[in-house]
Amino acid sequence: MANSTTLSTGKTFAWGGGKSPFSVSYGKLMMWIFLLSDAFTFSSLLIAYGFIRYSYQAPIANTIIKPLQHVGENFVEEMKKAGLFVQDHWPAPELVFNHFPFIHGMHLPLFFVSLMTFILIFSSVTMVLAVEAGHRMKKDEVANYMLLTIIGGAAFLGCQAWEWATFIHEGARLDYNPFGPRSFAALFFIVTGFHGFHVFSGVVLNVIIYLNVLAGTYEDRGHYEMVEKVGLYWHFVDLVWVFVFTFFYLI
Amino acid sequence: MEHMEHLEHTETPSDMKSQIWKTFWILLGLTVIDIALYFILLSYHSMLKNALFIILGVVKAWYIVGVFMHMKFERKMLMYTIILPMIFVVFLVILMLIEGDFTNKLRW
Repeated sequence: MANSTTLSTGKTFAWGGGKSPFSVSYGKLMMWIFLLSDAFTFSSLLIAYGFIRYSYQAPIANTIIKPLQHVGENFVEEMKKAGLFVQDHWPAPELVFNHFPFIHGMHLPLFFVSLMTFILIFSSVTMVLAVEAGHRMKKDEVANYMLLTIIGGAAFLGCQAWEWATFIHEGARLDYNPFGPRSFAALFFIVTGFHGFHVFSGVVLNVIIYLNVLAGTYEDRGHYEMVEKVGLYWHFVDLVWVFVFTFFYLI
Repeated sequence: MEHMEHLEHTETPSDMKSQIWKTFWILLGLTVIDIALYFILLSYHSMLKNALFIILGVVKAWYIVGVFMHMKFERKMLMYTIILPMIFVVFLVILMLIEGDFTNKLRW
């Protein structure tokens, strides 16, 4: 307490200067402020989605196809003929996102995005375990958990690349959407693309931190706060995915 | 003043590891509930359903920010600085969903 300002009354003030009133370092505080601004950016995208989604008619109830049922090659065409993919109605996510790698001809609604969600939550856990190991100054543990986090992030990016490829293969473009309203595909590419870009940046940052951990930079510095700061960013990416998932696949 | 007078670090609870895993299971459970609800309420459309999904999302966000991002253990001052502005976002979400619904009614 030697550094805090003391008034003549002898009382110390949190905002008296000379110490952090938030009790966090400058870098961590700035990371929080950055994440707040980033949260606004993502909010604006998701709110745009919500607005456009609700200015169209609700998805038509699907009574034709059940989970695990066989689907043909021309699924999108069939759904168009059956009147489930039309211009006035928002497409039902379960009918759009029903593919799974290596499994062909089966209706697996939302299975793949559930897996992606699981991967991202799990990589968030390994990240926070790395932070926790950092508090105990266990270099090897931090390194291992960082590596697992990087693998999780890369796996998620791979999944997203596959999902984009499938989506494009079915004819979706920034200005064209085979499933119905045109803005559906555009919003999908922009919002998941922007999120994927964040995941990519997160993986790059994680790799840098991982290499620094291996090189013993933080061991020498005496604390693993850099791991915490990157961890904040990584959890934020996971947090955004929670809402992307809610808005795109559930609502 | 020294550059790194490593602050009076806000306390990390000693059972952090078990808290992390507990949070993981809660998040996983909530996601499973989300997906189950999606299929149960598939042919049912209302603002109430959306509210339900958004609330579940906010609960998940609470656990991620609180435990994973350590916010629960930080100073209250930091918590309010970051979380209070988000209230306006929640307000905007609700406002725009209602407005979108109204646009829909005008169109059809």
